[in-house]
Order: sequence, then structure tokens, then C-alpha cells
Amino acid sequence: MPNEIWVLAEHREGKVKKIAFELLSAGIEFSKKTGQEVAALLLGSGLEEAAKSLTLFADKIYVMDAPSFTPYTSDAYLASIASLIKEHQPSILLGGATSTGKDLFPRLAMHLQTGYAPDCTGLTMGEDGKLIARRPLFGGKVFAEMAFSEARPRMATVRNNAFLVNESPGKSAKIVPVSSQIDPSLLKKKVTGFEKAAGAKLDITEADIVVAAGRGIKAPENFKIIEDLADALNASVGTTRATVDEGWRDLKDQIGKSGKNISAKLYMAFGISGAIHHILGIGTCKTVVAVDTDPNALIFNYADYGIAGDLFQIVPALTEELKKVFSTE
Amino acid sequence: MEIYVLVKQVPDPEAIVKVKSDSELEIENKYFTSFFDEIAIEAGLKLKEKTGGKVTVLTVDNRRVDALRRGISMGADDAVQIADPALEGADQFALARTLSAYLKDKPFDLILTGRQAMDDDAGIVGPAVAECLGIPHIHSIIGLEVDDQKKEAKVLREVENGKESLTCPLPALFTCQKGLNAPRIPLVMNVMKAMKAQIKKLDLASLGLGPSDVSPYIKIEKYVPPPKRPPVKMIKEDFPENVKTLVKLLREEAKVI
Ligand SMILES: Cc1cc2nc3c(=O)[nH]c(=O)nc-3n(C[C@H](O)[C@H](O)[C@@H](O)COP(=O)(O)OP(=O)(O)OC[C@H]3O[C@@H](n4cnc5c(N)ncnc54)[C@H](O)[C@@H]3O)c2cc1C
Ligand SMILES: Cc1cc2nc3c(=O)[nH]c(=O)nc-3n(C[C@H](O)[C@H](O)[C@H](O)COP(=O)(O)OP(=O)(O)OC[C@H]3O[C@@H](n4cnc5c(N)ncnc54)[C@H](O)[C@@H]3O)c2cc1C
Repeated sequence: MPNEIWVLAEHREGKVKKIAFELLSAGIEFSKKTGQEVAALLLGSGLEEAAKSLTLFADKIYVMDAPSFTPYTSDAYLASIASLIKEHQPSILLGGATSTGKDLFPRLAMHLQTGYAPDCTGLTMGEDGKLIARRPLFGGKVFAEMAFSEARPRMATVRNNAFLVNESPGKSAKIVPVSSQIDPSLLKKKVTGFEKAAGAKLDITEADIVVAAGRGIKAPENFKIIEDLADALNASVGTTRATVDEGWRDLKDQIGKSGKNISAKLYMAFGISGAIHHILGIGTCKTVVAVDTDPNALIFNYADYGIAGDLFQIVPALTEELKKVFSTE
Repeated sequence: MEIYVLVKQVPDPEAIVKVKSDSELEIENKYFTSFFDEIAIEAGLKLKEKTGGKVTVLTVDNRRVDALRRGISMGADDAVQIADPALEGADQFALARTLSAYLKDKPFDLILTGRQAMDDDAGIVGPAVAECLGIPHIHSIIGLEVDDQKKEAKVLREVENGKESLTCPLPALFTCQKGLNAPRIPLVMNVMKAMKAQIKKLDLASLGLGPSDVSPYIKIEKYVPPPKRPPVKMIKEDFPENVKTLVKLLREEAKVI
């Protein structure tokens, strides 16, 4: 039996993140070529529900139940995952390009002395089992196809929406409990507090739909119409650096080179001129809509659909139209 | 406190970058000190001003030392360049091994890096250096306070649904994210001085490394241009028909809602 394909299944409040299902779906596709088994890795405590939600998506679920896994620190995760890897020698280890993935994977790769491709937008598996990772460089001005050395596992973190979730994955996972004794002297970092972001919305890097406004919105209170549109679409609200620097919006919602890269299915930009610094953050969004009063605004060069018009007129009307359309379904 | 900041000169976000061939890029000659690295320098300088000590900027680069000069002009005390022909083609892991070979016997309390360098955007070098040195790291910090007596840092880090506070014993390595501070603009006089500052230059042999120590774990097989978006469809109807058309297109053509 060739060595397994592993996916680190992150979860929050008992719910496995969508990216884990996307990656397991990719793993299932790869396994059709290579005959490998697909396994999910679950770390935390009280993981029954999370494990259950994954059953159809993996041949095995390695469950490590210990209090020191919540909240995440690389100290606890690294030691436990590294020893499990040494035992089973998986061929591939995938995770989401999340705050956890980006904290853990580079260090784990160095620890295991193996290759790691960060923040990928695609992975392809050859008939011969060769894995190629595609990732943006220079903020997406070019892409690189990366190959791995002989070392295993080959590791990658992947952005949201790079893969579709398989509708009929057809697996039936065996739960493999893994005892995890963590040497307390390894636990150097301590999480002392957590301040939950206001609102119940998903982070802009996790949302399928992101609606954003820039300086064209003119005043912080005007974001209300954007929030309303977001509610109608079950979307999250993003913005540009201009409004963050004005103190109108929180830095966590800034899209672009010095903010976040988003990979939404639908991105809608209102009153955003389309400076390259902003555009670099939306390169892997599927569909982009732009609304700006200036018909020559750069943003239209990067959009699929555009309206040269006044956002104060269009946004509320759009919200109403969507509500109407959705209510008749 | 002894603080080391890892810095890199990278193409400006406005620089034109194009695929020249499978194995080569064409990069416009417009460089700046990676945005997050300046934030790291600023964080180091702020701590030094509070607790005393020294800030050293360190780069691995065969060609450019501008990031080091930027660091000096902002107020760093010392600058070190590591350069070696064997580093051509090195990946981030090789860079991390090189940087930690230099750092391992230095009396550091804190090592600061950018969240990611603004070229390859990998975010590997910081955590990998921490692993090589066996010290804790925290990725993407937006708040930092240090208790020099207790040798402990209080750190704020951004996660998907909020902000997490952590404590971490020193020595440690943190990667710096926007929001941590606003980097100072150096005085022209200091920029002039930095142009003439002494920069120590080291090669791999002087760090006890050979070419086999910098062999890569990952390699770029091929550069490819970004997927091209089809030209924009401007919806030219008057309001409110344009809004109705947009909704229709999103549902029936793009199928995203
Ligand atoms: C297979 C491969 C081959 C490559 N070949 C070449 C080549 O021939 N020539 C070339 O110039 N580049 C080459 N590169 C690119 C080079 O390795 C990276 O650009 C490297 O410098 C790290 O950049 P990054 O954006 O990935 O780092 P990240 O991991 O994103 O950097 C994070 C932080 O680490 C610190 N840091 C990063 N790089 C350095 C550094 N060099 N010195 C000090 N601190 C640093 C900074 O604080 C930075 O903010 C190659 C990369 C790969 C993967
Ligand atoms: C190193 C560096 C990093 C940067 N990083 C980022 C980053 O990460 N993210 C980012 O966003 N920016 C970043 N920037 C800033 C960037 O260059 C731009 O300044 C910024 O994106 C502009 O924001 P904006 O589009 O909101 O504002 P503006 O450029 O002022 O655009 C406002 C737009 O609103 C339109 N408008 C006005 N009124 C209306 C109306 N009633 N209806 C519809 N449209 C209207 C105008 O026509 C205009 O196009 C960075 C800059 C630098 C130098």
C-alpha cells in the first residue's frame, strides 16, 4: 500500500473548515491515480462531531485528543504531528493557507527537512505520482509551478476555492485514535486571551463572497449600505488601504499587497480605483464586479462585469433586487 | 536587548514582472525594502529605545545591500551581508539554514522578520530559522511588548476570527505584520550616512557551510503567466435596468450566486 495522503483538518467551535473538505476532495482525486489512501488529521478535544462530518471524505481519520491542542500553538501541534509523520511516513501533507497553516507548516517542513509550497492556488498529480504545486509570486503577477525533492511528505498550504468539494466522496473513514503525550517543557507559548472580531461574519479570506468599498464610500457610516448588501448575499465586507488608513475600517478587512489575499468566488468592488496594490490581493477571485463613477478607473481592467455609476444609487438597489430574487426561490 | 532583524530588498509592488521563459522572469529594476521588513526594523528600534541594546540587520543577497542601508538609516547599529555564489538557486529553507548558521552563536534575545517577503510571498524563512535555532516563533504579530527583566514577550497575533494574545519566553522569533507600527522615514542626513556605512560581508565557508548545506527542498519547474481574465463586460443600460442585468449575469452566466 503506497503511503497516504494527509490533510490537516482545521476546525473551529466543533465545525471542520470548508478548506479541509476541499483538500480531502483533491486527495480523493489524486488517490484515483495513485491508489493511495486519504486520511484526515484532527487535533483538539471533543472531536466526535468534527470526525463524523469527515467520514465520507477519508479512508482514515487520525484523532489526537488532548487539551493542549486548544487553542492552537505550534509547540503542541508540531511535536505531535511530527511524531505521527515519522511513524506513518505519509507521502503528502496538505493544509489550508490559514493563520494556523502559515504558522505551522514552514516550521514543520524545516523540522522534517522536507519541501513545502506555501499559499498555493492549485495542485496537480501526474499519473506517475509527481505532485506539482502552483503558487502566485509577486502578488500574482506571475505564477510558479513548484516541484518537490525526494523528501517526504511533500507539504503544501492551499487557498480557499482552489478545489471544489466533492458532492459524493464515497469514503467511509476508520477512526484511528492516536495517543498524544506532549512533553510539557515543549509548550513554551501560552495563549492568554482572545478577542473575537465584531460581527458574526467569516474572515474575508474564508468567505465565498466578499463585497468591498473604498474611498468612494466617502464616510465610515456609509458602510451601512455595504453591510446590508453583504447580509443579503451572506458575504463578508472588505476594503482598501485608503479607508483603513483613514481609520474607517479595521485592518483585518484590508485586501491587497499589504493586507490580505482573498480567493472568493465573487468579489464586488464599489468606489475602489484599482491601484495595483489592491488588485494584487484579488488575483485568484473567480468573478469580479466593479462599480465606479469614473469609467476609466483601473479597476475595470481587472473586472468581469462593470458598471460606470454611482455606488450610492446602485448598492441599495442591488440589495433590494437580490432580496427580491432570493425570496422567490 | 540584542535584536536581529532579517531584511530583504525586493521588487516594488509597482514593478513590472513578466515571464521571460519557463525558467526566467523579467523584473523591472525598481526595488524597495520589503514592506513587512521595515515594520520589523521599526519594531526592533522601538524596543532598543526602551530597553537599550543593539539592533543588527542581516540579509542574504549576492547583489543588493539596500535593505541593510535602509536599516542603518532608520537607526540600526550594525549590518551584515551574507553572499556566496553557491546561494544562487537556494530556496527559503537553504536561506534559513544560512541565516541560522550565522545567528546560532550570537547573543540574541529577539529575532524579527517580515510576515512574508514581498516577492515570493512564501512566509517560510522566519519560522524555519526559529526551528533551526530551536527557539519559539509566532507568525504575523500585530502587537509586541517585552519584559526585558523576565525575558518574556507579550504578543498580539491576528487569526481568522479575531485577535489572540500570547506570552512567549525569549529568545524568540516573531514575523511582523502591518498594524504593528508605522515605520519611521529616515532623515536625509542619515540616509547619506548609511550610504557610507561599513557592511560586514560573509560567505558560506566562514559560516561553516558548504554547497550541500544549501541544496533546495523545492524547485521552480516553470514560471507561468497569470490566468488572463476575459475583457470586462460593461453594463451600459441606465439605472435601474443595469442592476437587474448584473444580478441576471451573476446568476445565469457566472453562476456565482
Ligand atoms: C527553488 C528556488 C530557487 C530560487 N533561486 C533564486 C535565485 O537564484 N536568486 C534569487 O535571488 N532568488 C532565488 N529564489 C528566491 C529566493 O529564495 C527567495 O526570494 C528568498 O529570498 C525568500 O523570499 P521569500 O519571499 O520566499 O521569503 P519569505 O519566507 O516570505 O520571507 C519572510 C521573511 O524572511 C526574511 N528573509 C527572507 N529572505 C531573506 C533574505 N534573503 N535575507 C534575509 N532575510 C530574509 C525577511 O524578514 C522576510 O520578510 C529562489 C527561490 C526558490 C524557491
Ligand atoms: C507599499 C504600499 C502598499 C499598499 N498596499 C495596499 C493594500 O494592501 N491594499 C490597498 O487597497 N491599497 C494598498 N495601497 C494603497 C493603494 O496604492 C491605493 O492608494 C488604494 O488602494 C486606493 O484606495 P481606494 O481605491 O479606496 O481609493 P481611491 O484611489 O481614492 O479610489 C476611490 C474611487 O472611488 C470612486 N468613487 C468616488 N465616488 C464614487 C461614487 N459615488 N460611486 C462610485 N465610485 C465612486 C472614484 O472614482 C475612485 O475610483 C498600498 C500602497 C503602497 C505604497
